[in-house]
Amino acid sequence: MTELVASSALEANSLLLSDQLTFEFPWLSFSILFPIIGALLVPFIPDQGEGKQVRWFALGIALITFLVTVGAYLTGYDPLQEGLQLEESLNWLPNLGLKWAVGVDGLSMPLVLLTSFITALAVLAAWPVTFKPKLFYFLILAMDGGQIAVFAVQDMLLFFLAWELELLPVYLLLAIWGGKKRQYAATKFIIYTAGSSLFILLAALAMGFFGEGPPNFEYSHLAEQAFGGGFQLVCYAGLLIAFGVKLPIVPLHTWLPDAHGEATAPVHMLLAGILLKMGGYALLRFNAQLLPVAHAQFAPLLIVLGVVNIIYAALTSFAQRNLKRKIAYSSISHMGFVLIGIGSFSSLGTSGAMLQMVSHGLIGASLFFLVGATYDRTHTLQLEEMGGVGQKMRIMFALWTVCALASLALPGMSGFVSELMVFAGLVTDEAYTLTFRIVIASLAAIGVILTPIYLLSMLREIFFGKENTKLVSSTKLIDAEPREIYIISCLLVPIIGIGLYPRIVTESYNSTIEALVTKDVSAMESINRVSSKSPKGIKLTPALLNPPSLKKLSE
Amino acid sequence: MPSAASLAWLIPVLPLMGAILTGLALIGFNRFINRLKKPVAVLLITCVGISAVLSYAVLMEQIVGMPPEEHLFVWASAGDFILPMGYVVDPLGAVMLSLVTTIALLVMIYSHGYMAHDKGYVRFFTYLALFSSSMLGLIISPNLLEIYVFWELVGMCSYLLVGFWYDRDGAAHAAQKAFVVNRVGDFGLLLGILGLFWATGSFDFQGIAVGLQEAVSSGTVPMWAALTLCLLVFMGPMAKSAQFPLHVWLPDAMEGPTPISALIHAATMVAAGVFLVARLEPLYGLFPPVGAVIATVGAVTCFLGASIALTQMDLKKGLAYSTVSQLGYMMLAMGCGAPIAGMFHLVTHAFFKAMLFLGSGSVIHAMEEVVGHQPVLAQDMRLMGGLRKKMPITAITFFIGCIAISGIPPLAGFWSKDEILGQAYFSFPVLWLIGFLTAGMTAFYMFRLYFLTFEGEFRGENEELKNRLLHSAGIVEEEEEHSFQPGKLHESPWSMTMPLVVLAVPSILIGLLGVPWNSRFAFLLNPIEATNMSDKFSWGEFLPLALASVGISLAGISLAIFAYYLHRIDLAKIFAERFPQINAFLSNKWYLDDINERIFVRGSRKLAREVLEVDAKVVDGVVNLTGLLTLGSGEGLKYFETGRAQFYALIVFGGVIALVVLFGVLSPLPT
Repeated sequence: MTELVASSALEANSLLLSDQLTFEFPWLSFSILFPIIGALLVPFIPDQGEGKQVRWFALGIALITFLVTVGAYLTGYDPLQEGLQLEESLNWLPNLGLKWAVGVDGLSMPLVLLTSFITALAVLAAWPVTFKPKLFYFLILAMDGGQIAVFAVQDMLLFFLAWELELLPVYLLLAIWGGKKRQYAATKFIIYTAGSSLFILLAALAMGFFGEGPPNFEYSHLAEQAFGGGFQLVCYAGLLIAFGVKLPIVPLHTWLPDAHGEATAPVHMLLAGILLKMGGYALLRFNAQLLPVAHAQFAPLLIVLGVVNIIYAALTSFAQRNLKRKIAYSSISHMGFVLIGIGSFSSLGTSGAMLQMVSHGLIGASLFFLVGATYDRTHTLQLEEMGGVGQKMRIMFALWTVCALASLALPGMSGFVSELMVFAGLVTDEAYTLTFRIVIASLAAIGVILTPIYLLSMLREIFFGKENTKLVSSTKLIDAEPREIYIISCLLVPIIGIGLYPRIVTESYNSTIEALVTKDVSAMESINRVSSKSPKGIKLTPALLNPPSLKKLSE
Repeated sequence: MPSAASLAWLIPVLPLMGAILTGLALIGFNRFINRLKKPVAVLLITCVGISAVLSYAVLMEQIVGMPPEEHLFVWASAGDFILPMGYVVDPLGAVMLSLVTTIALLVMIYSHGYMAHDKGYVRFFTYLALFSSSMLGLIISPNLLEIYVFWELVGMCSYLLVGFWYDRDGAAHAAQKAFVVNRVGDFGLLLGILGLFWATGSFDFQGIAVGLQEAVSSGTVPMWAALTLCLLVFMGPMAKSAQFPLHVWLPDAMEGPTPISALIHAATMVAAGVFLVARLEPLYGLFPPVGAVIATVGAVTCFLGASIALTQMDLKKGLAYSTVSQLGYMMLAMGCGAPIAGMFHLVTHAFFKAMLFLGSGSVIHAMEEVVGHQPVLAQDMRLMGGLRKKMPITAITFFIGCIAISGIPPLAGFWSKDEILGQAYFSFPVLWLIGFLTAGMTAFYMFRLYFLTFEGEFRGENEELKNRLLHSAGIVEEEEEHSFQPGKLHESPWSMTMPLVVLAVPSILIGLLGVPWNSRFAFLLNPIEATNMSDKFSWGEFLPLALASVGISLAGISLAIFAYYLHRIDLAKIFAERFPQINAFLSNKWYLDDINERIFVRGSRKLAREVLEVDAKVVDGVVNLTGLLTLGSGEGLKYFETGRAQFYALIVFGGVIALVVLFGVLSPLPT
């Protein structure tokens, strides 16, 4: 304990925790700032240009960050508590109402851990990167801090800044280290995400200035505001567009196949593992938590969009001939379950959505890493140009098979549990009519058939069958090396761990989710009581999308 | 000392540990572990062996009348939703445990001989252990959801094992087909499980049945919904147990190594569907219409499988369709409300069908020495014949299997099949007639297989025939095939013949445990029902039906003898030429594969391509148009060249600064 106090005293010099009397170790600020400071130090690392020292340095920083977040979880986080924990608050720009406010609850903590974990593995995955290594690792580390900030900040304006700042490294990582069409992909990425994030800013400003008194953007403050119904709907719509691009929601998804298709493997892992989760997290944090009345109106739409995501992206993935784009579409398909979970008014479904984010973070990262590793050997991503690769690369084949099976939600792995929770949450959800639930569950279950079709076809085309003589003669197919096996094993341990005993993760956020769902359900009930006043726009939606009602239960 | 039942969790865990150990070693120390063939085999066989011993201990306990035992723990929870997992030991489970471990053990010993020269020997044993573990887990599952978990896992093992020889295109397609078709069934199963959970708030078998009955009688769940849910759940068994029309994957799955065909695709995994229906008996018993559907599906499958088997030339495919047909019998029994009869047939069938498959493996193993490792040749009966003289043990055991499956007393198949037909006669006479005719076809095609393979002259050296077969399969003979040195036919090594001999014993005798006037088997599963049965038993009812089915079997066998042993009847002339349509219909497997290919495979591909087209042209096109506009306005900024990012950053920061200024002006400064 004395050591803790001593170290926190040191930290306190730089951070001056004005709002807190006790000098607790600022776990979150440290885990945000440490990788960023590390990134700033990268240019000063002596290096001969091959990037060897930088690599180890970056790995060290990423690992320490990971350990710090784990430390935060173990020492300062009580999973049974629903509210904010590890809070730190510091007035930054008082005029603006901008506060350096960080803290975690059940929504943030798993994703903070996921971020630092995936980033550490991505650094290890980036071992073969030799082009401009310093800049590369600088950006990766900066992203690490930025992404943890996105999940940990408790101030909406700060959130917007973190959200924007994290785009920049991604843009550069895409534009410099990407594939042939990298400029196009990077531009598209930035236009989409930056354009849409304008809505975040607008919504943040609107919400922050709402009501009396000086502007205040802290979540806790916003949560207490009594926003009017129309106001909520407008903000909700704006935020939905912004986060829908990120998640992505069909039809706002077309930046993703391009960005993912051109990104290099480690960036790819980060994009799929963490960036997409920002959309889901933000939907839960803002749309569901801060705008419950609008959420009650929009939730059926979310569910319908989720189903569209699942089926539409699964079909496009099946038709794709480019391996990376195939997996990219499969990501979109899997995010559909997140949408359904968020839209369900049940703690089981919402909990499933949260687990699906964590699970897809791990599975998506592993698949994209394998795509990169395979590309390093075959030098092609076109499925026609592969075939019979399994004969030379047997371990690679095994790793691919395991990860593909994880992705198609095989029981015993995390994807199964999360999808099952979403399904079970949806069908037992008395907020929707029975017909609606039957239709949605049946359509979403079609995804259960489509997913193995495209994933197993992919495996078949890459690994099964006779060796492609053209491929074998032109490249050397070396089997997986220990580093690659290690990375996949690191990802598989939590994937299988969650699959076998999901409570290790679900327990860490259940209380928060339950509180969130209770809030949404009561908001929904309140609009049903005054349903005659419901906004006009909603009346136009077909009967299927009518605001959910609890009355169905009594029928 | 703890009872065996309280240790039952070890039964699936032991093989799993073995599989994990060798699996990790395969990833980590591939070369090293691949050299340790024997130690790996001994380790995994020991694991399964201990499981087998435990299973028999459990079975003994159940026979002496220990009550069923259930152990649960909370696996997942959210809100008021609690999902327990655990294991249950009851008579039904105990029977299946012993059956699966026995056959798994024998198949593993057999595989030691069969796969001796295969590169993937260690991998094969690992998969086998993994499969055993999943299958055993399925049996001791206490609720539907846990069943679903293991259901998928056995499906995965089947996928891995069918695609075991992954350099063969056929295997690759078959593996995928098996998985996807099973997923179609699982689609229904999952929805059914979820729906039942919605209706009853429970996942366990008894709870669902009780809950659904209450819900229907109180009117909260309409009757049609209850029936739909029951039928949705039945989709799972339909796919897994290869019932029409989801049977299409099973014959293709014969691309896997033959020991797998014996273990997974004949004796155990495909029986899981029947087992699940037996588990759900408390539920299905409530809704007679569901029983009728199940019985009809079973009868149709039963007839379809046998009719296609009549014309098959591939030894393994013939056996595969025979399996489809026999699974149909089991389903028929389940639909007639006679789960004991169905389970009894499951057990007897497991023994003799495993023996038949292992026998066919022994034949293929021998044929490969002569015609090379080309499944099109090694499994084709047109190239076999006269093998009895070279491989007597295989021939005798295969012969025993043929008698057993044909239903000649006192061998196993007679008792179980006769019980099913008896039940069907009183429940659905029309379906009885189908089953009865199928019994005749069964006897015919099985003896056709036997005579073509083991009797007559050996035809394997007929080069012209070989080339014709290769040609019709569309295979171009490669250069290396010519370098193949044909060897001599020989009997298989002891590790392969021993399991055959061991399996022959239950194939002959096990039926005696289920004689209708004193069925020990029924007494174990359901004592009340069993005493009821033996009380009601009358020779007057039993004999006519039994004689009829023995009669039709003998007729089938005689036809086979005349046609394929004595060559007195030329069926090709009498039947095939006169009814070419029927012949084509049968040899094209009722055109079901073609329909499947045309509608589902090509249809889904086409749909997917169209969606992608829409995605690329319409959805993305809208964006690119706006993209063009921005690029146009961006022309003027070209001197930024590499600096699009900086430019963007500038805007962001400029914006933030502007904000700060704006706020500074707008908001009153704190005084």
